[in-house]
Amino acid sequence: MIFKLANPNRFIRFSDRISPYLSYLFILLILYGLFLCFFKSPPDYLQGETVRIMYIHVPCAWFSLMFYSSIAICSFFSLIFKHTLADIISRALAPLGASLTLATLITGSIWGKPTWGTWWVWDARLTSELVLLFLYIGIIILSNSFENKTKGDKYAAILSLVGIVNLPIIKWSVDWWNTLHQPASISKFSSPSIDPSMLTPLIVMTFALLFFSLQVTLIRIKSEILQRKIDIIRSTELS
Amino acid sequence: MIDIFVKLLKREIKLSIVNISIIISYSSFFLMSLLIFTFGIGPDIGKLNELYSPIIWLIMLFSIILISENFLMHDYRDGSLRELQYLGYSEELIIFSKTVVMFLILIIPHFFLIPVCSIFLNLNSIELVSLSINVILGSPSLILISIISNLLTIQVRQSKVLQFVIIMPFYIPLIIFTTASNPNDSSEFIDLNKFLILIGFFLIILPIALFSGKMILKEVNK
Repeated sequence: MIFKLANPNRFIRFSDRISPYLSYLFILLILYGLFLCFFKSPPDYLQGETVRIMYIHVPCAWFSLMFYSSIAICSFFSLIFKHTLADIISRALAPLGASLTLATLITGSIWGKPTWGTWWVWDARLTSELVLLFLYIGIIILSNSFENKTKGDKYAAILSLVGIVNLPIIKWSVDWWNTLHQPASISKFSSPSIDPSMLTPLIVMTFALLFFSLQVTLIRIKSEILQRKIDIIRSTELS
Repeated sequence: MIDIFVKLLKREIKLSIVNISIIISYSSFFLMSLLIFTFGIGPDIGKLNELYSPIIWLIMLFSIILISENFLMHDYRDGSLRELQYLGYSEELIIFSKTVVMFLILIIPHFFLIPVCSIFLNLNSIELVSLSINVILGSPSLILISIISNLLTIQVRQSKVLQFVIIMPFYIPLIIFTTASNPNDSSEFIDLNKFLILIGFFLIILPIALFSGKMILKEVNK
């Protein structure tokens, strides 16, 4: 299936087919998620209403890490199997990942002011997330710095592979160091320490953001493929 | 293998000795930056003494990034980087020899710069020895990272700013550990743990840098 989709034309056809469904799912989930967040989810006994920022902040943070991992996997495929579509996916994911990282930092900062009493602390989790933003920015700038897009993609792929060392630091920073940021409430290995009335909207919002991100990524991949086709036509016309 | 490495090393050393201006510009930049930091922080010797470690490391970081261009860009421009690859020298050896030579060339001015800094920043003899060992153990990692950033941006015109943007995140862990002060630390003892961490960092960075450097060099000469 994956290797079939590696053909750009087939990928465009596939994305055209699933795009409407992704949009419908996103609209449904975001409306339901917002309803749950604002009307069904109770305020926190300590943080009050401000806890609702979590429904945006946490999914953004998860996806900021997930997209970087996806970029790194694509970079691996690009460097080892020399596949153009992997480069295109990385190029499409990087700005989205950077936006989500920025959203994480901004929402975290807004959440931090009433709970911690400050907009920003040089805490391990916050700092490593900021480093992730810089990594994303570096990848975006580097991939766009070359006239030859393929060359830019290759360099960006190497940079993103090297930058993967930051991911475990972000993930486990709250466990390794004594930080102001709380440890993970939802873990694969144990039952979540968060109440189901808060967990449900969080999961719904996470899926809403997932479908939104997938939709945006598909649009970006499609436009990138078409842009490359235009570039090839232009260059052959010129020569 | 060792013969080839020695041959490469000799070539790099010869080239670097001819360009003695590198050492002069590195030292001048180092001292000028120290002066600017002093003006920025103020002449309070106690405050300067408290901040000596971050000051020195930040100056070193910037000066190494700026100076690393001289070790690679000329070779790239005159085609000798490509020629070395065609002659069959492995990319890892080319990068490693450049790192070793860059370390040797840049460590020489430190024998003069660090004592001067110790006078300006009021360091005692233990702090001076500790800083010197720190610099010797930490600079190879800084150099390796700067070489990778240089290789990544070697074909870009406005490469300096880009080099800073893409490489700064990788310097952060190194800066954290080199400038961190142990709460139980006193200026009367040398912190051995810090040195071990720096050696550990180097051992982690070395294979990553050689591997990524090899991939970049192959891409550069395509």
